[in-house]
Amino acid sequence: MEKVLITGIAGGLGRIVAGCLSQEHEVVGVDTAGAPHAVRGNKSYAVDLRKPEFEEVIRSERPQAVVHLGFIRHFRGSERERHQVNVEGTRSLIAHCVKHGVERLVVLSSGYVYGAFPENPYQIDEDAPLSASRNYPEIRDLVEVDSLASATIWRHPDLVTSVLRPVNALGPTIDSTVRAYLAQPRVPTVLGFDPMLPFIHEADLATAISLAVDRRLCGVYNVVGPGEAPVHTAIEETGGTAWPIPDPPARWLFERLFRWGLLPYPAGLLDFLKFPVSLAGERFEKATGFRCQYGLPEIFESVRR
Amino acid sequence: MSGPVRARTLHRSGEAAPPAGQPGSRSPSGFWETLADLADAFQPTLFRRLGEELDSCIEHIPAEVNEYGYDRYGFHPGAFRRMSLTSALFYRHYFRVETYDIDRVPPGPVLLVCNHAGQLPFDGMMLGAAMLLEAKPPRMVRPMAEYWVSRLPFVSTMAARMGSMVGTRENCTRMLEAGECVMVFPEGVRGMNKLYSQRYELQRFGLGFVRLALLTRTPIVPVSLIGSEEQQPGLANLKGFGRLLGMPALPITPTFPLLGPLGLMPLPVKYRFYFGEPLRFEGDPSDEPAAIQEHADVVRESMEAMFERGLREREGVFR
Repeated sequence: MEKVLITGIAGGLGRIVAGCLSQEHEVVGVDTAGAPHAVRGNKSYAVDLRKPEFEEVIRSERPQAVVHLGFIRHFRGSERERHQVNVEGTRSLIAHCVKHGVERLVVLSSGYVYGAFPENPYQIDEDAPLSASRNYPEIRDLVEVDSLASATIWRHPDLVTSVLRPVNALGPTIDSTVRAYLAQPRVPTVLGFDPMLPFIHEADLATAISLAVDRRLCGVYNVVGPGEAPVHTAIEETGGTAWPIPDPPARWLFERLFRWGLLPYPAGLLDFLKFPVSLAGERFEKATGFRCQYGLPEIFESVRR
Repeated sequence: MSGPVRARTLHRSGEAAPPAGQPGSRSPSGFWETLADLADAFQPTLFRRLGEELDSCIEHIPAEVNEYGYDRYGFHPGAFRRMSLTSALFYRHYFRVETYDIDRVPPGPVLLVCNHAGQLPFDGMMLGAAMLLEAKPPRMVRPMAEYWVSRLPFVSTMAARMGSMVGTRENCTRMLEAGECVMVFPEGVRGMNKLYSQRYELQRFGLGFVRLALLTRTPIVPVSLIGSEEQQPGLANLKGFGRLLGMPALPITPTFPLLGPLGLMPLPVKYRFYFGEPLRFEGDPSDEPAAIQEHADVVRESMEAMFERGLREREGVFR
């Protein structure tokens, strides 16, 4: 059986992907936090990707494929630390994969890297520039990780690398930004704006990642779900109450609340609540035959309070 | 205002009309008569009739909506119908729109190119209503908005619900490839904010629509609108103030900003849409501007010829 190493196995998505892949692969997990809820029978290591101990794991385990989900996606800690962990961790991972003959690498990037602007096309395809850093500097580490992983495709052609940029992933287990956003008691929105937000169910995203591993995908791919729903519909359907705030005061308020730790994400998210960011998913669908199993009503049902 | 005035009794039947010279009798201008017609028309049955007419037209429009009633770009047929009711009201009873040769619009993908004027985009609203109410079969028009529209609260959401989208090349191409009817105003804000002294003088055209037509091999139907150029006479444009508000310029008209936002409400001019013969251009979409300008000039000439005809044929601005 092929061996797949998953970084970030302790996270919500890590557990689901491990469950998905365990059926036909031997799964080994790595996470700074260890893997207290690891899938039964799978080995896991509590190790930091930036440390030499991680190279020892790769050397001893010799996985055929690596799935990189090990990122800090929340904003609770220091921004500088997060940047270091994500970018340096990815650089170190790629270097070790190349050195120890790993065959395939799947890196989970994010649909946010394109940034939210009114001049974005309605279906952003993979060739669009990654402009998130312009208005949302707090996620520039995600942009840089994406760029690092994409460069690996041509820099190290022996390592078959695929970069996946999914839309908003939602589900009971996953710890995504949009989950944190919709789970708030009063969900802030920008007064007068109601853009279409694309969603994908966590199980479908895990299936997509497994497909990327199995089909030996090479390249950059958007991963899209069943469709889009307006922000207010998403809030209503998940049992929340919208709290519309007019824009210039909203940005000021968000910045303050975030700085005081009362808001789980910075003001850059506001643009995603004003301008639609919808991705074109044809490339991935054509390459893998991927079809979503969960529609929008099921996605919202799964996180309804 | 010139032209014949339609006689109207302003009192309910049974009461005698007041003698000439008294308040309520005919005035030479035609303007008050128009307002009176408007007041007369406002009855509850009006909404029901228009609603039914709209429903039968909207039935013909294909829309792929999700479980919540929205298409992937934010278009919502229910919201569209509600907004169309307002459009239809303006269409039939305020601007009293007349169309000429609307059957020249071919089926399938088409670019409607129209002149832009009047401070507020009622021209776009009315052209959309015309294609919905008069074209056989009824067609939904996709208006292409400028980037700054997406930055405005409420306006941006309403525009999306109506099927409008930002006029980027990718969006337009996608719409045309899907066989939609796309409405373009190449004069842009230059046209909308033009001064009263420049009425019916086509301002500089943005050339993107020609490149789009060449890229997607879409026919262009020039449309000349008589009436919008006089609906809100522009006296001046203040660029500095405009930037403060996130708009290209702040227009000064006889009623705006004197009467506040209501001052931008257009006068009840009569709209006349003249549709030209479809123009099919061939060439390289990334050709140099001079070559593209030649095609744009053909469109301009067609529109100017229709202006001439329309201005010659009309009897008055409000009638």
